[in-house]
Amino acid sequence: MEEKIIEVNFGPQHPSTHGVLRLKVKLKGETVLSAEPIIGYLHRNAEKLSEFNYYASNTVFMDRLDYVGNHNMELGYVMAVEKLADIDVPERAVWLRMLFVELNRIASHLVWAGTMGLDLGMITPFFYTFRERERILQLFEMVSGARLTYNYISIGGVYNDLPNEFDAKFNEFVEDFSSRLKEIESLFKENEVFIQRMKGIGILPPEVAKSYSITGPVLRASGVNYDIRKVSPYLYYDKVDFDIPVSNGMDNYARFEVRFREMEQSLRIVKQVYGKLPTGEYQNPLYRKSGLINIKGKGESYVRTESPRGEFGVYVVGDGSKKPYRVRIRSPAFQNLSATNEMVKGSKIADMIATISTLDPVFGEVDR
Amino acid sequence: MILEEGVLKDGTKFILVEKNTLLEELKNMKNQGYDYLILMSAVDYRNYREVVYHLGSYRDNRKLVLKVRTEDDVLKSSASLWGSANWFERELYDLMGIRFEGHPELKRIFLPEGWHGHPLRKDYDMNKEQYVNMNDDGTDTVSFNPEDGW
Repeated sequence: MEEKIIEVNFGPQHPSTHGVLRLKVKLKGETVLSAEPIIGYLHRNAEKLSEFNYYASNTVFMDRLDYVGNHNMELGYVMAVEKLADIDVPERAVWLRMLFVELNRIASHLVWAGTMGLDLGMITPFFYTFRERERILQLFEMVSGARLTYNYISIGGVYNDLPNEFDAKFNEFVEDFSSRLKEIESLFKENEVFIQRMKGIGILPPEVAKSYSITGPVLRASGVNYDIRKVSPYLYYDKVDFDIPVSNGMDNYARFEVRFREMEQSLRIVKQVYGKLPTGEYQNPLYRKSGLINIKGKGESYVRTESPRGEFGVYVVGDGSKKPYRVRIRSPAFQNLSATNEMVKGSKIADMIATISTLDPVFGEVDR
Repeated sequence: MILEEGVLKDGTKFILVEKNTLLEELKNMKNQGYDYLILMSAVDYRNYREVVYHLGSYRDNRKLVLKVRTEDDVLKSSASLWGSANWFERELYDLMGIRFEGHPELKRIFLPEGWHGHPLRKDYDMNKEQYVNMNDDGTDTVSFNPEDGW
């Protein structure tokens, strides 16, 4: 029987597209000839919405970008505004920010690991990863009162200091997380089927990755040692010890490996940060409550941060009024997704699903 | 041709280039080691639009902002220099209405084809609601009539 070329719409409603991704796939039998991502199904235009609110109010829109790595999104925006309006942040607040940003990185990678397992037909790891993530979410809930959209990092510091019961819960988490992480990793690594489906699939050469402005774990799995935390340190990343995991595999397995090593490094950072927490103010007193609505900025600023998915930054243009003139979001998942076709053409349709899940797109951030 | 140079509020150096020499300047910068197109954005200053290229490098932490101004919203595409420019330019076309000449496939990226106006423009009318419906062949139609939506 002759194989015809057919065009299939994959998504936007499909359990393994991580949200609302639609792929226009050209297929010959089971082989993918080309895949064109069609996005925008979750588009809310956070950039335009931000032009109508006070500087401090916009952090809620940032929360809703990458809804599994919210602290990182708030941080990118808040730091850009602080640069724009020359706002000082107390030392304790900076350390607290770092603590939660890194915990959030672990939580985000755990969601990725669980859903990647689901995409490959493994249901068990999902429960293990979400059990651990739950413990991190409880820590977030303690300080911010919310489980998903925290609005914790605010201009001039953070919203709240650590409550008394935080210490016990945190230590409990830190103590056994590295052994739990090994357990989760073994669920994947000791599975021959998993390894067969990951190794050598979804090759992304470093030159292609660079051309598509890819950042984060996806880039580092292609052998490029590039992490904003090291390249241009922000917060106090130059005051803690950690390594940047890099792999030369370029394939799905390399991306899997890099993210798991990254969780270990984040745990290392978290431990150091908690030990170094100084006492003092957690919020610049000038920017408590009513002070927040009087922030005015003039000029342009962009601060680079490393979110769980790569370089995240917000370009804020101020005209001297209380509201930003223009807000532009650099979302790493959007850029990573743009290279989909390069990675999946020529592979089988089932491998395409595995490849997209190792890109770890979050559609709140892609569609903005 | 560089018209203006300076430093932005965040400490980054910026250059404003002549519109007709945009592609040349970008190529020039890429050869000088700015091989990473961090971000492309556009700001609507009502009389003109300013397209802003944030350039970086995959080797070190150098950063440069390249700006270009346009009044007729037509610029040269840089999709031949960076793969990422493809989606950046589609986004700027969709939301800001800037047309990039030489782009392989310049179409809307977030909003459905046929959408009226470009939302990030300062003169965009936010009070006019638009309704989207899908045709049998998978394309979208947009209208101002609520009965056309679903």
